[in-house]
Amino acid sequence: MRELNPLLHSQLRLAVMSVLMNVEEADFVFLKEKTESTAGNLSVQLDKLSAADYITVEKGFVGKKTRTVCRITPRGRKAFEDYVDALRDYIG
Amino acid sequence: MIEKQMTEKESLEIITKMIERTKERYSLGDGNILLMWGYLTVAVSLLVWGLLWLTHNNACNWCWFLIPLVGGIATPLMAKNKHKSGVVSYSDRIISRLWTTVGLSFLLLTVFCLFFTYVLRVDCWIAMLIYCLIVTPAAEMVNGIVLKEMSMQWGGAIALVIGLFTLCCVTGGIPLGASWFMPLFILAFIVMMIIPGHIINIKASNNA
Repeated sequence: MRELNPLLHSQLRLAVMSVLMNVEEADFVFLKEKTESTAGNLSVQLDKLSAADYITVEKGFVGKKTRTVCRITPRGRKAFEDYVDALRDYIG
Repeated sequence: MIEKQMTEKESLEIITKMIERTKERYSLGDGNILLMWGYLTVAVSLLVWGLLWLTHNNACNWCWFLIPLVGGIATPLMAKNKHKSGVVSYSDRIISRLWTTVGLSFLLLTVFCLFFTYVLRVDCWIAMLIYCLIVTPAAEMVNGIVLKEMSMQWGGAIALVIGLFTLCCVTGGIPLGASWFMPLFILAFIVMMIIPGHIINIKASNNA
């Protein structure tokens, strides 16, 4: 039986990846709202996903406000698909 | 949501829940951009028609340029507000690219028409009308298919019929008389943009 990717087998990181799998891009506020997480925790988890090259995090400005946009990378997409496949094996 | 380890069943629940929550957002949005282009085109068409009737001066046709000028400025401003939702879906991207391509092709056709008019001394502006009544409805139908919005699909289809009829008239040498062609042109934009725009806004306000 395949091992579940530990980077994805965590509640918030999996939630973020699940959202990003379904959209082209999502900003920090959207992710925070959908995952019902705190800004600090989300920020930490985004950094971890970004460090693994699962997502890209782009910081920009909309007017005077900062806007952080996240996108899933092909590597992240592959990791998510593998994770779901592995999950299927476990659940049977 | 806190960061913690979980069981396989919980993983599946999270994935399902996030897909559901992201799906909620795939609403039609508002039909304001559609309404802006629709009303703008109808208003400019009435203006050109009226001026031509009053003055019999072909220079009035330059007023057609008000459509890309006003629409080209208003669209990015209106689209900027849509960005506030915080997410761009795949359908958003497809629709954006579709209309950008349509817009750029109109720009290119304008360059060709100007070149033909001032360099080759041939009037080919009719190509713009035909193109407008074929490509815009086709794009509108694709937009409607992507969004699963029937009013856009039907509106586009009706306008496309008007476009194909216009194409046959022009290639068959039948002159496009303003008295019947302008109402037809205006009708195409009413069914293709104004009616779907209002329907989408009503649906959006009902969902709010």
